[in-house]
Amino acid sequence: MSQVAFPRITSPQITSPQIIDARVDVELSADGDPRSFIWNRFEHTVIGQPQAVFSRTSWWENDGVPTRIDTELWRLDASRGGEEQHRYDLRHDVDGSWVLALDWG
Amino acid sequence: MTPGMAFPHLHVASAYSPHYGVTLPETLAEQAAAQGAGFLAVTDRDGLYGAVKHVRACVAAGIRPGLGADLAVHDDEHRPIGRVVVLAHGSTSGRGYAALCRAVSACHESGSAHRAGKTPSINRARLAELAGLRALTVLIGPDSDVGAALLRRDTAEARARLASWLRTMPPGSLALEVVCHLADSGRPGSVAPATRMLGLAEHAGLPAVLTNAVRYGTPEEAVTADLADAARALTPLAQLEQLQSNGQAWLKPAALMRQVARMVVDAGTHEGGALERLLRDTELLAERCALDPVADIGLGRPRMPEASVIGVTGDPVAELWRRARHGIDTRYAGTGQVEAAHARLAHEMKTVEHLGFASYFLTVARVADLIRDMGVRIQARGSGVGSVLNYALHTSSVEPLSNGLLWERFLSPERQTLPDIDLDVESARRHDIYRAIFATFGSDRVSLMSMTNAYRGRGAVRDAGLALGLPDDQVAAIAKQMWRFNARDFRRALDEKPELEALAAEVRESQQLDLLVDLTAKLDRLPRHISVHPCGVILSDASLLDRTPVQASGMGLPMSQFDKHDMDPMGLIKLDILGVRMQSAMAHAVAEHRRLTGETIDLDRVPLDDPATYELIRSTRTLGIFQLESPGQMELVGKLQPEVFNDLTVEISLFRPGPMQNNMPLLYLQARHGEVAPDYLHPRFEAILRETKGVVIFHEQVMRLFDELTGCGLGKADVFRRHLGKPDQLPEIEAWLRERALERGFPPAVISRVWKVLAGFGSFGFAKAHGAAFALPTYQSAWLKTHHPAVFLAGLLTHDPGMWPKDLLVAEARTLGVPVLGLDVQHSALDYRVEELVDGRQGIRLALPELAGSSETERARIARHQPFTSLQDFRDRVRPRRRSFEALARVGALDSFIGYDRDRRHELLAHIQGLQGTAVAIDDDQLAFDVDLPVPDYLGAVTSLDLRGRTQTDLELRDLHLAIGHHQMERFHSLFAELGVTPASALGSLPGGTEVLIAGVRRATNTPPMRGGRRVVFVSLDDGTGPVSNVVFFHDAQERVGGQVFSTNYMLVRGRTRRSGAKGVSVTGENLWDLFEVARQVAQRQAADRLATAKADAAQAAETAGALRTAEPHHNVHHLWPATRRA
Repeated sequence: MSQVAFPRITSPQITSPQIIDARVDVELSADGDPRSFIWNRFEHTVIGQPQAVFSRTSWWENDGVPTRIDTELWRLDASRGGEEQHRYDLRHDVDGSWVLALDWG
Repeated sequence: MTPGMAFPHLHVASAYSPHYGVTLPETLAEQAAAQGAGFLAVTDRDGLYGAVKHVRACVAAGIRPGLGADLAVHDDEHRPIGRVVVLAHGSTSGRGYAALCRAVSACHESGSAHRAGKTPSINRARLAELAGLRALTVLIGPDSDVGAALLRRDTAEARARLASWLRTMPPGSLALEVVCHLADSGRPGSVAPATRMLGLAEHAGLPAVLTNAVRYGTPEEAVTADLADAARALTPLAQLEQLQSNGQAWLKPAALMRQVARMVVDAGTHEGGALERLLRDTELLAERCALDPVADIGLGRPRMPEASVIGVTGDPVAELWRRARHGIDTRYAGTGQVEAAHARLAHEMKTVEHLGFASYFLTVARVADLIRDMGVRIQARGSGVGSVLNYALHTSSVEPLSNGLLWERFLSPERQTLPDIDLDVESARRHDIYRAIFATFGSDRVSLMSMTNAYRGRGAVRDAGLALGLPDDQVAAIAKQMWRFNARDFRRALDEKPELEALAAEVRESQQLDLLVDLTAKLDRLPRHISVHPCGVILSDASLLDRTPVQASGMGLPMSQFDKHDMDPMGLIKLDILGVRMQSAMAHAVAEHRRLTGETIDLDRVPLDDPATYELIRSTRTLGIFQLESPGQMELVGKLQPEVFNDLTVEISLFRPGPMQNNMPLLYLQARHGEVAPDYLHPRFEAILRETKGVVIFHEQVMRLFDELTGCGLGKADVFRRHLGKPDQLPEIEAWLRERALERGFPPAVISRVWKVLAGFGSFGFAKAHGAAFALPTYQSAWLKTHHPAVFLAGLLTHDPGMWPKDLLVAEARTLGVPVLGLDVQHSALDYRVEELVDGRQGIRLALPELAGSSETERARIARHQPFTSLQDFRDRVRPRRRSFEALARVGALDSFIGYDRDRRHELLAHIQGLQGTAVAIDDDQLAFDVDLPVPDYLGAVTSLDLRGRTQTDLELRDLHLAIGHHQMERFHSLFAELGVTPASALGSLPGGTEVLIAGVRRATNTPPMRGGRRVVFVSLDDGTGPVSNVVFFHDAQERVGGQVFSTNYMLVRGRTRRSGAKGVSVTGENLWDLFEVARQVAQRQAADRLATAKADAAQAAETAGALRTAEPHHNVHHLWPATRRA
């Protein structure tokens, strides 16, 4: 018998994230999940299974036909060296670049 | 497949899920194969619409196909319980596929579909029954009632609902479907309900499989799926509640599906090894559902109706031999061709036996017999006409040997496709025939065929506009301009086409319109819906419904979900039974003749050498004659001057876009009339090309040339002929042909010339079998027009088979001396009838349906209660609406109540307008009250405004759209005499190059394909004196005349006669004027002349007259116009 757990995305304890909005380099695991990213010259190592969320856009309100109708966001826990882990949102853009969007603390 | 490297997708909607899936099966299969998958299922919504295409695409891509359907289900109380995916198991000798077909058909059975709402839906108990054959798996996923409860986090309810499924369905038939599109939390497709589904499977001890509920191949196509959703819901995207959560329902490769699986497993608490088990169970199910295209689906295995249903007890081959020999002995008796026919039969039967098609021929012959026994006219068409066997079996009525038709054009061991025989029948009886075929063969063996309707420009722009929420009128205005280019090229068309410049400017200004252009292009060519094919009937054995799902067609009979492209691969025999209006028109003529005279005309036995018939055809008065009545055909027939039946075949075959664009008519005509010597290229080709004077026109000639050059045999020659249309194959064919032809003694120069002809021929041309099959009704209709014009025209007017407006047919009747009798409630029937007149002539009585705005019930009551003793009797029994009542009076249909004294019509009308209250309703079977019409009370008292100032012709045109009493142009005849207009009937006597004025009402406009590519506009004018006169406006004249060439309907034209052949004459138009404008100005001038005072007016009128008189007809045409009557 299994117990269905609420995914971390819906965890209520986090309130005010810090907006970072910085391009980062992300290293992927063999499975294709982010394994680590480099921000402020420091490598941040991902802990546990990161979770991807694709959120749709109201593309018809913008110019031109988009190649994607959603944005790709990865929510993951990572730590810098041995420091306490933070929760981050990483955005993966259509051009392949990664942006560290939020630091949830 | 390598574990871990491949992911088998089990739930995929192709573009054949209308308004849902957006990627074609071929693209999906190629993509899956490129991703390393060894398996792909297609599970279209509500059906197997894309199934055959999917299976063939998988075979081509080297992967194994799975088939299923995404179906709505309802419970015993007809409550909807969501959607599930039903998958067929493979390696079951077709049991899985058969159960799937039956499940889909059950979804569409009217009982279940309509009671559970508009969506097709299957009863769960019925699904359980079919799953009881242990060859189906039902996936309970997010769209099921269970999934809905899980989305609400109501695990208890989900468990209860699943328990209900488990109680109904047989053990082992269920699996739970885990779908995760990584959507925002709380939305469908998010990870939470997916992980709950996995948990539920563990709790219930059921296998769980991972799918991606795929709707498109790539993320780029998610936009198109949004459009499909808007179109399905008829709601703009901005207001659409059930938008897809995101764009992740694409055919993800294995790595991404594993990633999804990891996230799903990680998001909940599951038993150890849950991830690997989920992926393994998915692969196991795919393994189970992999279908063998041959063993499971029966791909490529033809199935004919069983011998018993085609009336055969013994061996079909022996029976076919027996019937064919007998047929030859009777049909060829006395022709001197009996032996040749038997020899040809032996040749044909060899192939039939080799291919195992004996039952096919017996089946088609059985259908032809059935149709004939119903008393319906039937005519085979297509390459099957080239077969002596079909002729002997009475399937076809064109004799192949004397017409030089070839069996190999129809069937040969080299042809890999099922044969195709088309039957043309009376259009009015087509549905009766379908029902009779269902009754005879049984609805488990017969189905109608469907056709897929795809988005084209206008539909695409409308649905894209709807999705964007653009105003209807704006979208409609744009849709109007969507023609003569593909919607997918919309952007380029805006840049290139000058007529779209205004729209292009708007698009530059508007972000929304700019989006619209690209979205329209995305929708172009996507399947939209299926509908019944206009002529395809599928005939098979009792396994038919195990091999194709069916749904109700618009006419109620079941229709297969497969279209014509699916027939041959599925081994389904398709008969094209096409309704042809001309066949109905001729049947009507024959029936009228029998009604009037008691004589039966057997059109199929009319000798094909009647001189009077050819005389009529040569005169170019071919209006109403099958295939020959268009202006272009009239001209060609005038040049060609047919003398024998074969000339008609040649004529019809020449009048095709390919031959026209390649100048073949001219080459043929020059040789035919001895202007140049026929060029046979080589003496050994003369026998092949003699009938067309050296011009290669027919497919059969190409085949014979191939055979003569290479000795390849006619069967192989037909294969080469087909390849001529494929440019990449030409070099190979040429090399082979040159080599063989040299060996067979043809000089290189001759080979080069004949190859040039063959290669240039391409694949266009025409099968002579088609041409001859068309020529027969052409001759028959010409014969009827020659010898029985009244009944023939009655048939044409009733069934309206041709291109011309009925008003012109009425005019033609008048010219042929056949009186057209006005509408009369005492005599008019529901169709056009012929009446014997006191002077011995035959007249055509106008039919009741011509009364504009009348209702079917009114007309039926008139026909039923004729004759009427009085106006009151008429009113009581017919109970006409006031509008119809008055219209009947205006056109004279009630004249019998005023003693046919048309001067009293206004009194009649006034009386009707004065009637108060409702008619006394009388039972249909009760005798009428006999009360006299109180007309005398009104005598001389009332003049109806409705009649004042209008001619009878005006009233007829208004209420009937036909001018019955007089030709509508008669009112202009005095003007024509004044201006010196040449009557159409007199044009034929003028030499070519004569300057003329002609005039009339426009009857047709044609822009036929032309050598050189410049548009030529043909306008056919009717001035009431005879057949139409055809005016040709070439490019320079079109520039001079402008839009009037399309917009002016009553016109005066100045031009020069242009003679074409002995009888053909047309006019090259140089300028044109609006006839009403001319009439007004001439009237002004006359007024000015009479008064001789108003100089200004005279000057203006003189200017017009001067312009008109520049034509100055060199002969006096005044006397040619009939004395002008009051029209």
